[in-house]
Amino acid sequence: MNEVSVLTIAREVQIPLLAALLIGGCAAKAHRAIMTHRTSVRTGPTAMLPPRLRRPAALAVCATELALGVGLLVTAGGTGAGAPAFAVRIATGLLFCTAAGALHELRTRRPDAGCGCFGELSHTPVGRRAITRAALLCAAALSSIGLAPLRMPASAGQAWLTLGVIAAELAVLAALSPEVGQLMLQLGHTEPCELREVPVARTLSALHASAPWRRYRRFLVAAAPADIWREGCWRFVVFPGVLASRRVEVVFAVHLASRGPAVRVGMLDTGSCFADVGRGPDPLQLSKLV
Amino acid sequence: MAWWRLQSHLPKVRLSDVSDTPASYARRALLRAAVFDTRDHELWAHRPAVAVTVATGVLAEVREHAIALDTSRGTELFTISPATKTWRGASTAPSALRSGDPVIIRHRTPDAITPACRIAERIWARIGRVTGTIIAADGREFLVDAHRRQGQRVVIAPTSWRQIQVRFPRLAPGYLLDVIGTRYGDHLLAVAPATAQPPYHADHTPRPPLVGGSVTMPLSGSAVWHEPDDEPPGLLGLGYPAIDPAEGVRPASRSIGCVRLPYLSFGSAVRIRNECADRAAVLPVTSDGALARQFCDRCVKCGTSPKGRLADLTMAAFVELGGNLEDGCFNATLTTMAS
Repeated sequence: MNEVSVLTIAREVQIPLLAALLIGGCAAKAHRAIMTHRTSVRTGPTAMLPPRLRRPAALAVCATELALGVGLLVTAGGTGAGAPAFAVRIATGLLFCTAAGALHELRTRRPDAGCGCFGELSHTPVGRRAITRAALLCAAALSSIGLAPLRMPASAGQAWLTLGVIAAELAVLAALSPEVGQLMLQLGHTEPCELREVPVARTLSALHASAPWRRYRRFLVAAAPADIWREGCWRFVVFPGVLASRRVEVVFAVHLASRGPAVRVGMLDTGSCFADVGRGPDPLQLSKLV
Repeated sequence: MAWWRLQSHLPKVRLSDVSDTPASYARRALLRAAVFDTRDHELWAHRPAVAVTVATGVLAEVREHAIALDTSRGTELFTISPATKTWRGASTAPSALRSGDPVIIRHRTPDAITPACRIAERIWARIGRVTGTIIAADGREFLVDAHRRQGQRVVIAPTSWRQIQVRFPRLAPGYLLDVIGTRYGDHLLAVAPATAQPPYHADHTPRPPLVGGSVTMPLSGSAVWHEPDDEPPGLLGLGYPAIDPAEGVRPASRSIGCVRLPYLSFGSAVRIRNECADRAAVLPVTSDGALARQFCDRCVKCGTSPKGRLADLTMAAFVELGGNLEDGCFNATLTTMAS
């Protein structure tokens, strides 16, 4: 393979890569908007705009990314060759060039803001890496102008070379992307049980499936719990009961782990309380009085 | 003004029932102790706990060296000394107090021989606070959605306008406001900012860091206070910013706040420590501290606290723990009894 062919291959792979980045970026933003039920943004260059303009600007950016990504794919082959392909690739280059300038401005004005390029993953404050990435993508888009319609690799050797060039470019992009580290962090992260939202229904299902429930349910006199509350990783469920002709409260403590939650049981005589004869209110117990 | 009509269109919030909470808190502590064999229940009294150094009520009479306060326990007398500090819109002399003023007093008993002789150390008269999201703005007047108390009217005093504007540069709808001032019937006359305004919109609280493993206790941050609203005036408790969503409270926003707190229910006990006054107490969660989640500020009363508000104390609890209401906050640590 001569050097010109390698350059040509390098130019050709920009089109599908840029399309994937643009469509992926729009999808990530849309996912964030759906999950958080809002389209207003606090990251990215649109964060510099007045609040009433942020949402329309964010929608416009996402729509532009989607249109250009689809446009790159549609004009990659014979369809749309010539002027349409030229227009889409110029517009893509312009988009990334504008993004590089906007990120530079954002870094100056809002140093704590993320680039917002890939939704939830892009909260790391804008640094030189993100700006360099945008500038390189601009150059990549402009380098694809004037290419002939894309074809499948003519030989196995050319196919391997194409894959190698793609892998190299992905490695460069990964090195310039703080989102990769954030993604690895989120994939490896497990929320502590104290911080997880756990519906009461799931707790009750776990309780009803547990051995302590089967062992103690015969003491219960009501199907519905008298009290339910949560403290960190434990949810307490209290039922009225009778034990040896005495009225008791049976309390089940259910651990809110994701799998195989532990269940512990306690019983308390309903007459149990602190001595309350002839005494008034107790003072608040402070550890140190001034 | 047309925007006053907004008050009637704002949704009502379900509030926690605090009328029978002292007995239920103690009961839950006993039930937890039955499962885990802890001694936490000994921290609770079956009867409601009362403050030792705080009195709340309405000023009945102002004398030269004493004041009479109408409280829930009847009329109580407090001696005024040269060291007594008085606040009524600003630091002032006790002679500025007026009969009928709602007051909160921190007092001390000089000796055990005469426990009935109590000296007022600090007197706060008509002090109030509004924390929330600005709904409407018109000059120096604002309508604030304070979550529990929607449609709170705030008027910034002309002499305090510059001071508040420096700390709150974005006095526009959608941004947060937290001011302290003099409470009148239908509005708060704001005289001081309680904190610096967050640079973000009310719905855009910064994301907290990911937490791995388990939550490490104690947590550090700041403690603030709120007005009683429909809570009993002398209630000792706190608004907690991480109420279990299963409790069904309406969140102030979808933000999870900038400090990750373990989920608790109403009535759960937490230990709050005032790092500035070196005082700590176990208090029950009596309300939802949803507004505290929206602020990622620091308290600088004694050093600089980490970002985030851990607790929104009742006025009585804040003063009992050694905080000064006009300061707005104290550096705090929080430990849940479940840990």
